Order: sequence, then C-alpha cells, then structure tokens
Amino acid sequence: MTASVQSQGSQGGVPDEGQGGGTRDARSAAASGKFGVIAWLRWGWRQLTSMRTALVLLFLLALASIPGSVLPQQGIDPAAVSRYYAQHPALAPVLAKFSGFDVFGAPWFAAIYLLLFTSLAGCVLPRALRLAKSARQAPPATPRHLGRLPYSAAVRTTAGPGQALESAAGVFARRRFRLRTGDGWVSAEKGYLHEVGNLLFHVALLGLLASVALGGLFGYKANRLLVEGDSFANTPTALDVFRPGRLVAATDLQPFSVTLRRFTASYVQSGPERGQPSWFSAALRYTAQVGGPARSYDLRVNHPLNVDGVQVFLIGHGYAPVFKVTDGTGHLVFDQAVPFIPVEQSGLTSAGVVKVPDASPQQLGFAGVFLPTAVDVGGRLASAFPAAVFPRVSLVSYAGDLGLNSGQPQSVYDLDTRHMHRMPVSPAPLAPGQSITLPHGLGKLTFVGYRQWASLAITYDPGQLPALISALAALAGLILSFLVRRRRMFVRVGAAPDGGTVVELGGLTRSDAAGGFEAEFAELAGEIRKAVGGSAAAEARRQPASLVAGTAAGARPGDPVEEPGGEDVAMARKGE
Amino acid sequence: MPNTGLAQLSNVALVTAIVIYAVAMVCYAFDFAFGRRGTAGVVAATAPEQVAAGALVGAASGADLAGHSFPADPADLSQLADLSGAGTAGSGGTSQAVQSPWPTGTWLRGAFVLTCLGLAVQVVAITTRGLAEHRIPWGNMYEFIAAITCAAVLVLVAAAVRFRAYFMGLFVLLPVVVALAVDVVVIYTPAGQLVPALQSYWIAIHVTAMIIAIGMYIFGAVVTVLYLLTAGYEQKVAAGEVSKAAGILAQLPGSATLDRLAYRSILFAFPAWTFAVIAGAIWADHAWGRYWGWDPKETWSFITWLVYAAFLHARATAGWRGRRAALIQLFGFACLMFNLVGVNLWVTGLHSYAGIG
Ligand code: HEM
Repeated sequence: MTASVQSQGSQGGVPDEGQGGGTRDARSAAASGKFGVIAWLRWGWRQLTSMRTALVLLFLLALASIPGSVLPQQGIDPAAVSRYYAQHPALAPVLAKFSGFDVFGAPWFAAIYLLLFTSLAGCVLPRALRLAKSARQAPPATPRHLGRLPYSAAVRTTAGPGQALESAAGVFARRRFRLRTGDGWVSAEKGYLHEVGNLLFHVALLGLLASVALGGLFGYKANRLLVEGDSFANTPTALDVFRPGRLVAATDLQPFSVTLRRFTASYVQSGPERGQPSWFSAALRYTAQVGGPARSYDLRVNHPLNVDGVQVFLIGHGYAPVFKVTDGTGHLVFDQAVPFIPVEQSGLTSAGVVKVPDASPQQLGFAGVFLPTAVDVGGRLASAFPAAVFPRVSLVSYAGDLGLNSGQPQSVYDLDTRHMHRMPVSPAPLAPGQSITLPHGLGKLTFVGYRQWASLAITYDPGQLPALISALAALAGLILSFLVRRRRMFVRVGAAPDGGTVVELGGLTRSDAAGGFEAEFAELAGEIRKAVGGSAAAEARRQPASLVAGTAAGARPGDPVEEPGGEDVAMARKGE
Repeated sequence: MPNTGLAQLSNVALVTAIVIYAVAMVCYAFDFAFGRRGTAGVVAATAPEQVAAGALVGAASGADLAGHSFPADPADLSQLADLSGAGTAGSGGTSQAVQSPWPTGTWLRGAFVLTCLGLAVQVVAITTRGLAEHRIPWGNMYEFIAAITCAAVLVLVAAAVRFRAYFMGLFVLLPVVVALAVDVVVIYTPAGQLVPALQSYWIAIHVTAMIIAIGMYIFGAVVTVLYLLTAGYEQKVAAGEVSKAAGILAQLPGSATLDRLAYRSILFAFPAWTFAVIAGAIWADHAWGRYWGWDPKETWSFITWLVYAAFLHARATAGWRGRRAALIQLFGFACLMFNLVGVNLWVTGLHSYAGIG
C-alpha cells in the first residue's frame, strides 16, 4: 500500500512542485498505522487529480465525441434521425437507449467531462496556492557545483569576490530577476508568468464550461418563417419552433416585433456556377419594445440583427405564391400568400399546399409546386433558375374534408387527402393572374402572384459573452505559458588557484517552450563578464585550460555529473 | 466574374511550384547521399569535446549531434559560448560556424534556395487566384490544399532557419508534392464565387489561422514520424542489432533532438489552432446564431484539439513521454486529416462547402 501511494506521488504530481505530497501522506498514514476511509479518499482524489488521469479523460472525451459526428443527432438534424430509424429499424432503438442520437447530452458524455473538470479544479487550485506561495518566497539557494547544471560558464577577474558578486547581482537586478544572496553566491529567478499563464488557461476552461451551462439554462432558440409584408411578435405562440433552456419561462422573452418588408436575392447569372446565390438581404422594420419606435435593419447572412441581446438571423428563403379562392357560393374565402418550401436549390422548385377550410359546400385543398423559372424538360416541368423570371404554379385540386377537426395536429405543409377526392382538373401551369375553375360549381382558384419569404432564427444565449471572454483568456494563458520561460540563474565566486577571482555561472530553465534560453544565458554571461571586469576575461580566454581541465584543486565546474542531484537538476530535465 | 487570365496564370504557377519542389527534393536527397562532407567540418568544430576546451562545461547532451549537420539543439552545450568569446563576438557567444543560420554544403544550399523559390511561386499562384476571384482564395477544397501545403513549406523554411532543421526539407516536401499533385490533377476546381454563407471577414480570419496551424501540425507530424524511426534505429544500434551505417537514419539528428523539434512545432501549432477554433465559433455565431452546434466539422476540430492537448499533457506525464506521446500526436494528426478529407467526403453538415467533384 505504502509503495503504491509513493509511486503515485511521483507519477501523478505536478512536475517540479507536485512531488512529495503523496509520499508525505503515506508516511504519516503509515506512522499512525491507519488506512481508513480518509486515506482511501485521499488516495482516490490524488488519482483523480493526477496528470495521468487528466490525460486519460482528455482522450476518453475525444473518443466519446466521435459517435456524435457519425450518427445523426436529434438536436442538429431530426429528419436524418428519422431516416436512420427507417433504415436500421433494429439497431436504432438500441442506439437511442444509449443516447446515440443525443451524444452531447448523454449522461455518459456528461460523466466524462464532469470528471475531467473535477480533476481540473482539483489540480489547478492547489497549484495556484503553491504558485502564490513560491512567488512570496525567495528563490532557492545556489547549488554547490554549478558545472552540473545544463548551462554553465566561468570567468576570471581581478576584482575581489565581494565586488564581483555585487556586480553580478546588479546585472540580474537590472533585468528584474528576483534575487537571493548568500555567502559567496547569488541566486536569481524569473518567469513566474509561465505558471500564471498555464493556470489562467486551465481556469478559463472552467469558465468556458460555466458559460456553456449558463446558455443552456437561460437561453432559447426559435425559428419563424415570415412572408414579405407580414409581422410577428417574439412570443412563444407566434414562433414556429421554440426551444427554451431549462429555466426559461414564456414571459421571459424579450418583447420585440419584426416586419419583413422586402426580401432580395441575387444569383450568379452565367458560367459554371450559374444559379448559385451571391447575395441575400431582408429589409426589416422592428420595434424593440411594445409601442416603441420602429427602426429599419438590413438583415443578411453573417449580419444578424441584435435586439436586447437577442440575435435574429437570416437562415433561409423561398417563395410564397398568393392565391384567391372563391367558393361555390360565390364568397371570397381565401386571399393569402402561402409559403412553399424549396425541394431543390438550383432552380428553387418549391412545394406547398393550399387549404381552404371555409369553402362550402365542400372544403377545398390544392397541392403542387411553384416554379420560379418554369421550363419544359422533355414533357416534365422544371425550374431552370432560382430567380422568379418566369413564375408558374402547377396544382392538383381536391374537394372534401380537410380533416382539420379530427383532433390530430396537422402540418401546414401537408394535405391529408384521405377524406378528399381529386378533381378532374388539369394541373397545367398557371401564370400570375390565371385561374382554375373547379367542376360542379365548387369554386375557382386564382394564382394572383407571389411574394418571398425569409426564415429567421432567433437565439438568446446569455452565456455567449462569458464564453468568448473565457476562450480568449484561455488563449492568452496558453500563449503566455508558451512564451515565458521560468528560469533560474546562479552565481558563485571563489578564489582562483593562481590568484584573482573565479566567477561561476549556472542556469537552468524549466520551460523553454519557444526556445531562446541559450541566447539569454549567453547574453547574461556576457554582461556579467563585462560587469566583473573585461580585461580579466581576455586572460581567461587565453588560458582556459586551467579553469576547465580540473588541474586546480577541489571541485571545479568540469566535474562529471555523478548522480542527478536535487530538485533543481530535476527541474531542468523536466523543462527541457 | 472571375478574371480568367489571372486564374490561368495561377494554374501555371502552381504547376511550376510543384516542379520546383520536386527538383528541390532531389537536391535534398543528393545532400543525404553525397553532401555530408561539406558539413562535417562545422560539426566537428562544435563537437562537445572541443567546446569543452573553452571556458565552459556541462552534461554532454550534445552527443546527440555529433556527426549530424543539425547542431540546433538549443539546450545543447555545444551551442554554448565560452564566456570570453561571448563579449567580443557580441552575438550571444556561440561559435561563428554554428551561429550562421544558413545551410552548409552545395546540395543543401541549392535545395534550400529551390525550396524558397518554389514557395515564392506558390505564393504567386495563390495570390493571383485570389485576385482572379476578388476574394480570399480559400473557399473550396482545391484552394484549401494549395494553402495548407504552402503553409507547410513556409513552416519548413522558418524552422530551417530558426532551428537549423534543413534536414527536414526532403521529408516535408514529399507529402507536399504528393498532395499538390493530387490537388491539381483530381480536385481542381475552376475559379468562382463564394456562397453567401462564406462571405464574411471571419472566414478569412478563421480559415487563415487554421491553415497556419495545419502547416505547423504537418511539420510536427513529419518530425514525429522521423523521431519514431530514429528512436527505433537507435535502440537497434544500442542493442548491437545494426551497426551505425551510412543510411539516412544515421544522418538524422538524434531522437532527443527530433523529439524536441516535434514538441516545439506543436507548441506553436496548438495556440494557433485554439485561436482558429475560437474564430470559427465567432463566425458560426454570426452566420448561424450559435457559436457551437456540434456540426461534424466542429466536432472533429474539437476532437483534434483534445488529442493535441492530451499530447501536451503526455509530454509532462511520467511514463508517457517519448514513443507514447509521439503516437498520441500522430493520432491527433490523423483526426486533423480526417476532418479535412473524411468529413467533407462522408459526413454532411453545415460546413459542406468543400466543392469536391
Ligand atoms: C479540460 C481539460 C484540460 C485541457 C484541455 C488541458 C490542456 C492543457 C494544455 C493545452 C497544456 C499545455 C499548455 C500549458 O502548458 O499551458 C496543459 C498543461 C498542463 N496541464 Fe492541462 N488540461 C486539462 C486538464 C488538466 C488537468 C485535469 C490537470 C491536472 C491533473 C492538468 C494539468 C496540467 C499541467 C500540470 C500542465 C503543465 C504541463 C507542463 O509543465 O508542460 N490539466 N494542459
């Protein structure tokens, strides 16, 4: 048991500073002889907050996301889910049981990211405390043998040891290193921002999660199809689709209203991309408050309208042919634009139905297509271009019972013809102004013309700004931790065997991600050489062997490394 | 309307760039075959033993580099100046031969000049395409591949100069040339306009950041493959299974140096990718009203991000450095490539603008 806890201490700890914790625990637990619940809990918590666990959870989260991109998702494309059910009748219910069509809302997905973020919090808080502590403490003492450090150098000077040390310390002070001096040595440290950046990054991820949760609880999404000339108010009943967050009440919706005055689309006129849309624009009038002033807005793709923090987007468009219907009794019972839904994009052929429940003696229904630029392709009608250059509608006519009173909800885009009979009228294309006269004196339908419609998405997400701020903070932390290196520099002075002073210099860095410590070290070394007296350096250069080859008595910088000693050397390894 | 003259020029320039890259590859290969002698002197001059004769000393991680033309390990002692020289040279004190960032040896120099030339021609190809279309030329798969290969070569040139990683030339240009050939022959799409959903300056920011990040990821992945090969080779040499022969692997820097170079490329790529994902979220918010919707493209860039984050973690986790971390990085790269190719081909989503076929 002790052994396993100990190995955990070295495995799971945060590099450099995180060592030892587990070992201490295990030792105190062993000393008091009890391995109770607390010890196990501590052990479990250490496991959870270890680097290895974080690594595994990161990986698991990545793997768990994959089904969400492979299987159709209810929240993204419900129609694709239905298709999947039709194609795999046996498999689909099983997948649904494991939230296969709602992966990102699945309990097991949540379990992984909640564990990961628990681990994150449990890892980051103690590290922040340690950082705060070490920022208040002086740097560590200078090790005895600087030659063992990854970067080291030595220089001779005629200046006295005290003066040389002072000059060297001055160099570090000028560069705003934190200093600690001792008997014959100086130790300097800089670059705490590295750790600050890393912590900022991790904390910002927690902020990001919180922001997403905020949006999920208090935000809402809605859709609304709006024909030119029509208006709607932002209330749940006026919206075609309304998906509120968990804590949204109907009365919470911002009370604006919108009128679509005109929709404009333009298309590529020739070339291989003929018919591709090149421009959409919806001219809106809106009022932010009931009774407030009306304003205009030009709504475009990538150019949403923002009212009271709610965003309104242009997400689709189409045609709404206008029909007038006179029934068998001679009354005008229908005079409306009816949105038709595009069934293909290149010519915007659109399908739709007209329901006339007020017609008597029988209810009337029509189903058909609107063709913006009608052409005859081998006897079949088609639309050759998405703009309404040569608009025609072609309708099949029905009379009977529309079934609207059956109690079952009906889509406005489907005609239930079970209780209707088809009229013997040719579905020949109608030009604007032309009519169909129904047999048996049942009435007359006139295709008056067309208007366009735009479909709008309305979203409110209070977590949006916090999410942006968190994401940018994470990015800033990341860059900071990669750019700043934490480094320590050490100076030790001693008497040279043949007179004068030897100034030894050592350096190490834990985190030199972007590189460049070697240049900084050389620069510092150069400055220190100058500071302690240039002429002596020339002497050193002429007779370097005396410093290096170990001819002098005692341990010199040239000593081989016998063992990886001390925390500092370990730190250097870590950060290389 | 696209300008056909400029579009034509762009096509010609791209093919020219491919040819130049191919010739550069041959030169890099010749450098491996015959060019070593030109650089041997430099390496010898900076070998640790000789530097030790200067006024400084330390652990000899520089052993990695002996016999290689890649003395760029910054933590490496052979890079360290003797102090006395430092001041007078005024250049951070590294010996002059090492300090020079330029390639040594005729073949290598020629190869590098060709690489830069090819890069310039490719930049011309991309610029003229953009001018022909009156927009940023990364709106479809064809343009995107041209752009990421250009970024990869740019990263190669930068890394070569900054880290003296000239040996990477052959290995980066190989996938670049293959990808560009496929791009020109199979994926080619005539110059045209963007659908309205792509008309936003955020697309410029988002996709540009992605392209740069991908360029660095490509570089990192290539280094990592070399790392794995070299590490395996070193193990065999250490076990006495193979003798240190004159193959390409023997001429590469040691695995420790490659490992560091790979790590470094990801350190640059990861923030760029993070930024690209954030910019993409902002764009998605402007275009679709939500900053994140688990669209397949979004999901896969998230997966890619997570796996590369796992790689960075692995580098700091005992027992996971080296081979395992390298494999995680390659897995991340596989996710990245799947996002570029697989998602466009097999999965539909809002991002399906790829315009392939
Ligand atoms: C949402 C999950 C996480 C993500 C996406 C993530 C991502 C990252 C990234 C990208 C880095 C490298 C950047 C830097 O050094 O600043 C990093 C470093 C680090 N992370 Fe995390 N991390 C996550 C969770 C955790 C957890 C749970 C722990 C604690 C066990 C942790 C501990 C660390 C440490 C100690 C480093 C520094 C490593 C070094 O010295 O190189 N992280 N993380």
